[in-house]
Amino acid sequence: MNIRLGAVVLCLLMPSLALAGEYDLTVDRVEIDTGDFVKQGIGYNGKSPGPVLRFKEGETVRINVTNNLDEMTSIHWHGLILPYQQDGVPGISFPGIKPGETFTYEFPIQQAGTYWFHSHSGFQEPDGAYGALVIEPEGREPFRYDREYVVQLTDKHPHSGDRIMRNLKMMPDYYNRKQQTVGEFFSDSSEQGFWNTVRDRLAWGDMRMMKADVEDLQGFTGLINGKGPEQNWTGLFEPGERIRMRFINSSAMTYFDVRIPGLDMTVVQADGNNVQPVTVDEFRIGVAETYDVIVRPRDEQAYTIFAESMGRSGYARATLAPEAGMEAAVPPLREPARLTMADMGNMHGMDHGNMDMGSSDDMAGMDHSSMAGMDHSGMSGMDHGSMMMDNQAQQDPFYARGSGLVPTAANGGKFLSYADLRAQNPLYEEREPTREIELRLTGNMERYSWSINGVKYEDADPIRLKYGERVRFKFVNETMMTHPMHLHGMWSILDVGAGQWNPIKHTINVNPGTTVYMETEVDEPGQWAFHCHLSYHAAAGMFRKVIVEGGPDSQQAKTEVMAEDGGEA
Amino acid sequence: MSLVRFSGAVSLLVFLVLPAMAAAQAMIADTSGRKQPLTTWGIQFEELEYRYSDDDEELGVWNADAFYGTDDFKVRLLSAGEYEIDEQAYETLEHQLVGQIPVSRFFDAKAGVRFDTPEGPDRTYAVFGVTGLSPQWFEIDASLYVSKEGDTSAALEAEYELLFTNHWILTATLDATVAFSEDEEIGIGKGLASTETGLRLSYDLIDRAVSPYFGVVHERKYGDTADLAETAAGSTEDWFAVIGARIAF
Amino acid sequence: MNASNLIVAGLAFSMSVSAFAAGTHGGGHGHGASIGEPGKASEASRTITVEMHDNYYEPEEIRVKPGETVRFVVQNKGNLVHEFNIGTPGMHEAHQKEMRMMVEHGVIQGNKLNHDMMNMDMGNGHSMKHDDPNSVLLEPGQSREVVWTFANQGNIEFACNVPGHYQSGMYGDVNFE
Repeated sequence: MNIRLGAVVLCLLMPSLALAGEYDLTVDRVEIDTGDFVKQGIGYNGKSPGPVLRFKEGETVRINVTNNLDEMTSIHWHGLILPYQQDGVPGISFPGIKPGETFTYEFPIQQAGTYWFHSHSGFQEPDGAYGALVIEPEGREPFRYDREYVVQLTDKHPHSGDRIMRNLKMMPDYYNRKQQTVGEFFSDSSEQGFWNTVRDRLAWGDMRMMKADVEDLQGFTGLINGKGPEQNWTGLFEPGERIRMRFINSSAMTYFDVRIPGLDMTVVQADGNNVQPVTVDEFRIGVAETYDVIVRPRDEQAYTIFAESMGRSGYARATLAPEAGMEAAVPPLREPARLTMADMGNMHGMDHGNMDMGSSDDMAGMDHSSMAGMDHSGMSGMDHGSMMMDNQAQQDPFYARGSGLVPTAANGGKFLSYADLRAQNPLYEEREPTREIELRLTGNMERYSWSINGVKYEDADPIRLKYGERVRFKFVNETMMTHPMHLHGMWSILDVGAGQWNPIKHTINVNPGTTVYMETEVDEPGQWAFHCHLSYHAAAGMFRKVIVEGGPDSQQAKTEVMAEDGGEA
Repeated sequence: MSLVRFSGAVSLLVFLVLPAMAAAQAMIADTSGRKQPLTTWGIQFEELEYRYSDDDEELGVWNADAFYGTDDFKVRLLSAGEYEIDEQAYETLEHQLVGQIPVSRFFDAKAGVRFDTPEGPDRTYAVFGVTGLSPQWFEIDASLYVSKEGDTSAALEAEYELLFTNHWILTATLDATVAFSEDEEIGIGKGLASTETGLRLSYDLIDRAVSPYFGVVHERKYGDTADLAETAAGSTEDWFAVIGARIAF
Repeated sequence: MNASNLIVAGLAFSMSVSAFAAGTHGGGHGHGASIGEPGKASEASRTITVEMHDNYYEPEEIRVKPGETVRFVVQNKGNLVHEFNIGTPGMHEAHQKEMRMMVEHGVIQGNKLNHDMMNMDMGNGHSMKHDDPNSVLLEPGQSREVVWTFANQGNIEFACNVPGHYQSGMYGDVNFE
């Protein structure tokens, strides 16, 4: 009798044992050594970056987080679909984790792929509180590889996050050492003529904007998996192997252009979701984005993984090698990026002097109906010489036409564009959105205050959505900076003009002077953060709370009427 | 209604409505620091220098500024002084306390008080002005002073930075004072009273925190102010070699 | 042999004959002795069903005897256009360049093939018809056969050369017993 009872009890317990993973994390003060400098920071389980957490799709995870700091902390699981109380944003999901407290997160894993986690309190994330999250799928993935590596990038700065915020508020170009100098005036004069250069400087001076304003935060040491360029993180391989590299950009402020000289990369996943494979020579990874690529080094030699910052002020570097200790050449940084008048495209009330900007219609706006699958049936007897196969000349539609930020591959090959991304397995059926919400990305560089629709988070009402609707968000970037917009808890379906094959992401980069659309199926009740993922922009006001009214079970007895189309922002 | 249906309805209520209500209650308000306006502060010595004049005069000069506040309201404490090393006396000693609010994208309005306590008579002024960035990158500070006695004057400060490199910076400054009424006691005559122009070449040694510089400063008095200065056996025009450092944190 | 078998055999025969008779799309593929030659369905010793998924094959390995003739029934069970192509890694690499051109010209559009585009005259008598005997290019849901007589040995893979698919691992090994 007892044996049978025991067996029954055991059988009842088994499923929960098999499906539950339990993990322990402590949040600690740690020392971070970048190779260039040593600094106190914050880490998980005694180091920064924290451990790589490996979950399985379908399991329910319990993560016990113990706060060993003397201030509040939190952990946000970036890109994960979970109940909103588990999302880890103080003030929105939960009050936060008090010093000395242990908070237990518990939620089911409903997805697979590469993600990451980080503190959502203060500037703890730039100070080192981040780690990688790898979720194994239930079924097989649409690609094969022999080994995998997490390649997590960050821009570690010798100043603490609080200090950086204060310095940027005091002097917005505090960290910008790539500004135009007298020397550049003379070299521009010799290239473009003296009066053209004078006119150019006067035009920008009139706006009180700098074309050198690409990167707010410079002077960082790029880290890959916690190691600086000198420390050289190395991933070993055997020639001929296919290696899956899980690139995660965990920076505070920096976009990286990633390439591996000598190897091309096949992008198979973006933001944790499988994409139809596209082979590129270089890609730009925005803050908080992830890209999984497959490389196949065939030769017995070392390869440099080179992540050059978008503004070319710094870099991160690691190595793929058959043996430890091998190194390959590290390329020099390219010329600093410079904005153009095209990047100012969406600014209102700007007197651009006599600069010819063209109508705002032909800038930015993408006509997607003609993008996917070009119809060549009208052509006969093609002359291959004139075919627009030249990828360099073909403008990336996600940059303003004539933008100074359009990336080109260092080896002249293919540079990944959002326009190349197609979902491998769409998560949602395509349907018409129920309404459109416009979010103008706004800011004042001189005051270093950033906002959405001109309103900072502290003064803003929440954005209210209804469970079950499909909202089309229109991001209009009225600033001259790139902004990676991240909606918590629900997927952002980026409109690249591919209908049901539009890629599914969690972080959408919006370039200066452009308008980008993305759609969200509102299928997660609760309240969620929605913000620019540049740490110092989010803290300066570029942040919103999204409230999802209703849920799968509740009766729609609530008669909350949305006052006007477009909603409150 | 049968008992079964009744209990069914009750359990429906319990299982559907109560969780929804609980969930609605659980959506917390944001009382975190993020919902508060961002507060910043800073202290800067724009000038902290030793001046040596063509008349062998030696001065210790500073021009400091501390602020605290948010985008919508800042409190600023300004301090400026010229200390004559030989005479061990303050030729100039000014302190200002102003409140500042944004009035346009690039300009703030300010109002406050100024206390002058140099060697000689003290003065107290009410201060009104605007400060900000003009097109073509001039830092402008324009102030109107009204003394307790009713004497009014205005000061315009302009600053321009030329980047030789991203670390070597040439700063040009102009400081002009216009008095609308005479204040003989402190040697101010009506009209354009004085100008101070400076050219300083600095090197950003430690971030923007420590930037040593050297340069040249020209001071001049005009009109009635010049006459008053001559009467008091002072100079009306001085050239200074200066060496110092800009400190900011 | 009953009537239906005769019809199937006749169909298979005519398909392989017409495939063999049609022109290649320029550039010379170097088929032939290194990997084998098109086979006759009647000589096939067995039939292997190869399923094409997004983006992999089932099975991922086949074992053949030297010189064996195998009939492959290739089914596209995925949501995208896929290829089943028998060749050496070098041949696959060369073919990938051609397939990339087909994508750029709009012949291959994700989950559809533009047949008009395929038949278009590119000049010099070339077209982008994908009609080599050692490969088939299928839309989702389509099914077709390849009958192949393998060489006696070689480094042979079957692979999908739609851009990015091979690199993601859509290939299988042909191992000789």
